[in-house]
Amino acid sequence: MAVIKKSLVWICYLLGLLALPQFFDSVLAISIFNQMAIAIVFALSYNMLLGQGGMLSFGHAVYFGLGGFLAVHALVMIEFEILSFSIIWIPLVGGFIGLLAALFIGTFSTHKAGTVFAMISLGIGELIAASSLIFVSFFGGEAGISGDRTFGPSFFGIEWFQNLEIYYLAVAWVFIATLFMYFFTLTPAGKMANAVRDNPERAEFIGYSARRVRYITFCAAGFFAGVAGGLFALNYEFITEENLNAATSGRVLLSAYIGGLGYFIGPIIGAVVLTLMNSLLSNYSDLWMLYLGIMFLLTVLFLPRGFAGFIMMHQMVWAQGKIKSLVLPYLLTGVPSFIFVIASVGLIELSHTDEAEFNYLGLNFDSTTAIDFILISIAVLAALFCIRKSLPQLRAAWESANEISDDDEKEAQS
Amino acid sequence: MSVLSLHDVTKNFGETEIIRGVSLNIERGEKHAIIGPNGAGKSTLFHLISGLYNVTGGSIKFKDKEIQNKKPYEISRLGLARSFQVTNIFARLNVFENVRCSLLWSSGYKYSFWHLLGRQKELNEKTLEVLEQIGLQDKKLIPAGELAYAHQRALELGIAIASGAEVIMLDEPVAGMSLTEAESAVELIHRITEGKTLIMVEHDMNIVFDVADRISVLVYGEVIACDKPENIRANTHVQEAYLGEVVTDA
Repeated sequence: MAVIKKSLVWICYLLGLLALPQFFDSVLAISIFNQMAIAIVFALSYNMLLGQGGMLSFGHAVYFGLGGFLAVHALVMIEFEILSFSIIWIPLVGGFIGLLAALFIGTFSTHKAGTVFAMISLGIGELIAASSLIFVSFFGGEAGISGDRTFGPSFFGIEWFQNLEIYYLAVAWVFIATLFMYFFTLTPAGKMANAVRDNPERAEFIGYSARRVRYITFCAAGFFAGVAGGLFALNYEFITEENLNAATSGRVLLSAYIGGLGYFIGPIIGAVVLTLMNSLLSNYSDLWMLYLGIMFLLTVLFLPRGFAGFIMMHQMVWAQGKIKSLVLPYLLTGVPSFIFVIASVGLIELSHTDEAEFNYLGLNFDSTTAIDFILISIAVLAALFCIRKSLPQLRAAWESANEISDDDEKEAQS
Repeated sequence: MSVLSLHDVTKNFGETEIIRGVSLNIERGEKHAIIGPNGAGKSTLFHLISGLYNVTGGSIKFKDKEIQNKKPYEISRLGLARSFQVTNIFARLNVFENVRCSLLWSSGYKYSFWHLLGRQKELNEKTLEVLEQIGLQDKKLIPAGELAYAHQRALELGIAIASGAEVIMLDEPVAGMSLTEAESAVELIHRITEGKTLIMVEHDMNIVFDVADRISVLVYGEVIACDKPENIRANTHVQEAYLGEVVTDA
């Protein structure tokens, strides 16, 4: 029964990925989906390090980028017929390079977790990013390098001219990579990675070298980051230094964290949210990075277990059918919160705009007079007031929903 | 034949000598207690044997192999398991996973990433057996960090004994327990160390005299006596150094 239920989740995941282009088929949508696919694999690989293995890395883009660079080089070699294999295997090339890099760097970086590991990852990240600008023949300097995915033996007649074709290829790889990363968490090495994360000292007293356990996790994470890099190469057909520098490393940390580190599904949620913000929000506002930063801050402060953690918080309430009692309090706080966000964004945008007449959500504002600033500020304050007023109710409702469940548990036990 | 023998083991931290030439033979199947006042070096001695600390001098032999200065995991693989004075568990893993992890190496899985744990029938059955032994079978899905203290102590023992090691070292297994909790813990210790060699550090004299076949008294880094319980009780040196102190404390 449990097996069927689990398989069902995976089938839904696959079908969902495959069905996406049926609902949104614009060029922009497909390009976003491709970015999502890449981001999902990358964020999941990052979570192997931080969520599963307790290794905080500031340089995970190194494995993504090196995998991507070699993948583009492989595309070029296929074009010039030095290599001859279908480009569907390019993500494996990326993965293999990511693995090689991790095999080497891991020998000294996984000695300790914690600050030591974090600092080494930062150093390696800077080192590789700097080298990428120095070794121009390999990394192509600031312009990067580019390839062409339409060469090589064709795959059932597909020529890979369209992004949609790449999307379906990416779905296959995302699905396989997700499956393998999930299975890894269920193996002795994967479970010991959790154990070492929780308590490296005790792990040594049950026969495991904490260092070796970290090393294996680190290499696996490097491999899958490389796979994501290979997918990137296939999708964009070029890669630059930006894809292995600290900014990319930071972004994958953000998406894994916002999604929720403790849960396997967390980084998937985070990758989707961040890709959407990155590609949609950036069309509307120059300030999207600011909003991303604020969102990260709020997540750290109020949802330390991420979006996935927030959803999972409701599991018990849901299982006992008490979710209904939360709907109204959620609405009472949620609506003013929504207004608060909208109005605050309006205020920020209005202060930021250069134009006298500023259109926001279909309303025209005048950024030259104080009156509109005051109006929006009033909306912000009013929303804030409503949030403060309704918050105690929500808290009480939440507590009572969980309190009763505690009693139920006691009853069940006795 | 002794399964574990210490020969003139010393340990210094900087200038301070904590262990000053301890020699000790533990026989196979023996239940051996190490007692001594606070700061005598009992826990340090445990850390030296189990590999957490390196010795400054001397040698430790386990089953005729020298193990001093070996890594904890190397010593553990030879069949020497230990528990800790301060609860030392995998807080975010559930109770079942805690015990299963400690079974992995002795079951030969090593660093495998090609076995799915859910499918390892024998391993999972063994885990359940251990859980039953330590009385936590109905708490198996609770994260270890959320257990009540007495249950955490039981799990601590479970992790130590799960691998089936022939020598088990317990560092103050009933520390911080209420009287009734301690009673059931002692019963548990009797049960799980049957037919095995036990080395135990414990403060509670009732428990020591109940469990041990032989007692070593450690005072300021030296073993001042090593004998049967009744002789230790009668030993005036020991009374001066240690037992008398306990009475005045109480």
